Amino acid sequence: MAWITKNSVAPIERRNEPYLSDELKRKLTDEVLTRYPTRRAATMPVLHALQEEHGWLPAQAIEEAAAFLEVSSAETMDTASFYEEYWLKPKGKYVIWVCQSLSCELLGHQRLIDALRNKLGIEVGETTPDGKFTLVTAECLGSCGSGPCALFNEKLHENLTVENLDRILDSLA
Amino acid sequence: MPLYEPVLCKRIPTPPWGEISDRKLVTYQQYVETGGYKSLDKALQMQPKEVVDIVKAAELRGRGGAGFPAGVKWSFLPPEDGKPRYLAINADESEPGTFKDRMLIDFDPHIVIEGIAICMHACRLDTSYFFLRGEYHHQREVMEHAIREAYDHRIFGPGSKLGKINDRWPQLYLHRGAGAYICGEETGLLEALEGKRGWPRIKPPFPAVAGAFGRPTIINNVETLACVTPIIEHGADWFKSMGVPPPAGSAPGTPASFGPKLYGVSGHVNRPGVYEDELGVKLSDLIEGLCCGIRGGRKFKAAIPGGISMGVLSADEYEAVLDFDVGRKHNCLGLGTAGVIVMDEGTDMVAVARNIARFFAHESCGQCTHCREGTNWMYRMLTRIETGEGTTRDLDLLLELSGSMGMMPGNNICGLSDGANWAIRTIVNKFFDEFETRVTRERGVSLAVVS
Ligand SMILES: Cc1cc2nc3c(=O)[nH]c(=O)nc-3n(C[C@H](O)[C@H](O)[C@H](O)COP(=O)(O)O)c2cc1C
Ligand code: SF4
Ligand code: FES
Repeated sequence: MAWITKNSVAPIERRNEPYLSDELKRKLTDEVLTRYPTRRAATMPVLHALQEEHGWLPAQAIEEAAAFLEVSSAETMDTASFYEEYWLKPKGKYVIWVCQSLSCELLGHQRLIDALRNKLGIEVGETTPDGKFTLVTAECLGSCGSGPCALFNEKLHENLTVENLDRILDSLA
Repeated sequence: MPLYEPVLCKRIPTPPWGEISDRKLVTYQQYVETGGYKSLDKALQMQPKEVVDIVKAAELRGRGGAGFPAGVKWSFLPPEDGKPRYLAINADESEPGTFKDRMLIDFDPHIVIEGIAICMHACRLDTSYFFLRGEYHHQREVMEHAIREAYDHRIFGPGSKLGKINDRWPQLYLHRGAGAYICGEETGLLEALEGKRGWPRIKPPFPAVAGAFGRPTIINNVETLACVTPIIEHGADWFKSMGVPPPAGSAPGTPASFGPKLYGVSGHVNRPGVYEDELGVKLSDLIEGLCCGIRGGRKFKAAIPGGISMGVLSADEYEAVLDFDVGRKHNCLGLGTAGVIVMDEGTDMVAVARNIARFFAHESCGQCTHCREGTNWMYRMLTRIETGEGTTRDLDLLLELSGSMGMMPGNNICGLSDGANWAIRTIVNKFFDEFETRVTRERGVSLAVVS
């Protein structure tokens, strides 16, 4: 839920090497900042770029993004914590987003979720111990005519059945 | 009366003219070879105001959900002052049941880009942001490629055939969302574009006056802009030869439902998909014709006319005409996105309501107390009712809540809460028996008024 506050009591883990490398900064300066009239407007593309590189958004990375965007880190954290696609904790190598909205539920999305829970041995919201799969639910993925469907990272799989689910999981093994 | 020939699906094989399985991406080259970018050249021969007037005369209504006339919106812009003015293309498409913009992007991105360029010329907008929902990964690649093609062919960028607008070369950038339904609301979208959380703004000021970065901004849906391309090519009268006129006896100036429309049908039908027809197709014709009937030969029970926010049509309304007037005639919110969700006789309407309430509880941005708390109450009550633990009090409170929450009753900032309100209220009212038999705990008489 976008508006539920996140735990901010835990101390920030720090490392010496920056998350926002000079090379990435250069790239963002040339290709992204030029598109917007304000630096802050580049927040979402900068966060996407950081997440692409590191798999998730550690608090230190968000602070560095804020410094780069010349806004307070609270402002960047505010944006990062609002959107579902930004991960403020590590995720598995593959994130499986199963659509649970109406058309997909009508076509049996629950069978898929149950099959995945069984096969992976995790509940929705959890990651397998080997760090390979994270199982989450998603709201409508814009593929209602070919449901039930799920995203495996960036790849959309449509008309899913328990059988072809097995095949997909095996192909990712 | 089906369309004689496809308009938005001119290059996208679609039944009855083609096979869905034959759909593939139309490249810039193929687009131009089939008459593409002629409308833009034609528009560039005209004064900007003439172009706005044609779109106005065509009475093109927004395809993103609200049905606001595009030409009228365009004419709200203040006079130019030499500073930047923006176009934001709404490709956030997150309303459950809606997948029509995706089809345009997947297969014919240039019909959209051409509409964008025409709009920029007509409205004197120098910079466009294509706001694409984060989960559309494949579509992002397709769109980025198509935008590059457009730059390569001098639609945008230095030396653009549009010339300088507001003393700047026109630009089209893709802005990727990050998974929030509320960014489809036009001012939530603008906040996200500015790098903030997608909290809708209080209006006025309207975006046409003070939108992105405090500057005049037009926000239009993907399909709306795609419609602009054929309107310029064939004219307003041609556009108005499709669809339905305003209802008989309505006041002058009542907007009609003209033009072609993409209908995305999902749920319990034999052949779900995105189809094109005139505005005003009958629900029963859509299901039995293009969608080849209901799965397993079962009976029709209910349908959502255009994305879950719109509420529900019951079996009595199987013949409903799907135009912009459907809301007034059938006690639902409206045509919305024309993402039709069909449900057969085996569907549990309590579960449907619970699913919808969960969606809104999850997607409420949390700014307004009524919406943030109300959607969650609705979800919790419906979960109780579904599992047989609900009470008649729950049902009464559910109806009270869903009858009082929203932007229209005047206690919330944006239309998300009206969507939640209409969806739940119409389902409970139109299928009241199902709900009543489920509230088992107290056997008191319900005070709910069924309207
Ligand atoms: C909660 C909410 C979500 C919306 N989502 C979308 C959307 O995903 N795509 C869209 O085009 N319009 C959406 N709209 C409608 C927009 O606010 C706006 O009316 C529309 O983009 C204007 O374009 P049009 O006039 O071309 O339809 C949404 C509205 C609300 C209240
Ligand atoms: S009505 Fe709901 S979604 Fe809209 S601004 Fe208020 S809290 Fe946010
Ligand atoms: S409801 Fe699952 S993709 Fe739309």
